[in-house]
Amino acid sequence: MALQDKYKELIDAAKNAGVSNLQVREQDNVLYINGNAPSGAVKDQLWAIYNKIDPDFRAGDLVLDVNVATVAGAKAKVITESSNLNIRKGPGTDQPIVGKAAHNEIVTILSAANPQWSLIKTDKGEEGYVYTQYLAQQ
Amino acid sequence: MRKFNSLKYLVWCVLLTTGVELTSCKSKKNTESSAPTTTAPAPDTTTSVAPAPVQISPDDSLQTGVRDATKDYPGVNATVSNGEVTLTGTISREKLPKLMQSLHSLHPKKINNKLTVK
Repeated sequence: MALQDKYKELIDAAKNAGVSNLQVREQDNVLYINGNAPSGAVKDQLWAIYNKIDPDFRAGDLVLDVNVATVAGAKAKVITESSNLNIRKGPGTDQPIVGKAAHNEIVTILSAANPQWSLIKTDKGEEGYVYTQYLAQQ
Repeated sequence: MRKFNSLKYLVWCVLLTTGVELTSCKSKKNTESSAPTTTAPAPDTTTSVAPAPVQISPDDSLQTGVRDATKDYPGVNATVSNGEVTLTGTISREKLPKLMQSLHSLHPKKINNKLTVK
């Protein structure tokens, strides 16, 4: 219960922000928070609170596994810092690159292979897997 | 003989009446005891079910995920052991949250952040 007290502000924020399938469990001195955030903005908000409670995430006593549900058919913006985003044949950095999506380009999400990789299609017709973290669903 | 018959008759009467009494008592007792005792219905209890244990990714799957997550952070080194991810090297404070978000979504047991954060 001590960890739930430490991260109370974060747990309350998750509930108030509409995180679905929210689970808060403690196991082996680590608190696990799982759920689906309604948007990237909510996910970022929760991480900002986490960073405030545990600056630079040093304590290692929380796993915050809250992801934004990928909507098939939704548009997404490529949010790399400035570089192109590699489009790969399969969901992994060991997979060959089959195309590139430019910084700020809008692509179409076809499906989510897993929380880390999404299958997308560009307007040029290139299709393949990109690292989901570099997509902001519109 | 008559006396004996009378005695027999008397004994029979006694037996009959005591039997009746016993029966009636018994039935009385039965009535009292067999009255349906209504117990208050059990309250709407919900058995507390222990939460499902947290799913931790196996090390080989974690290692693949960690490799992908750290690919764009050249100063970061990561090792995986028994579900724990240990980070060493350097990273900018600005980039740290994004890296952590990727790593946390891999279902690790724990993240040990030993990075030098600039």
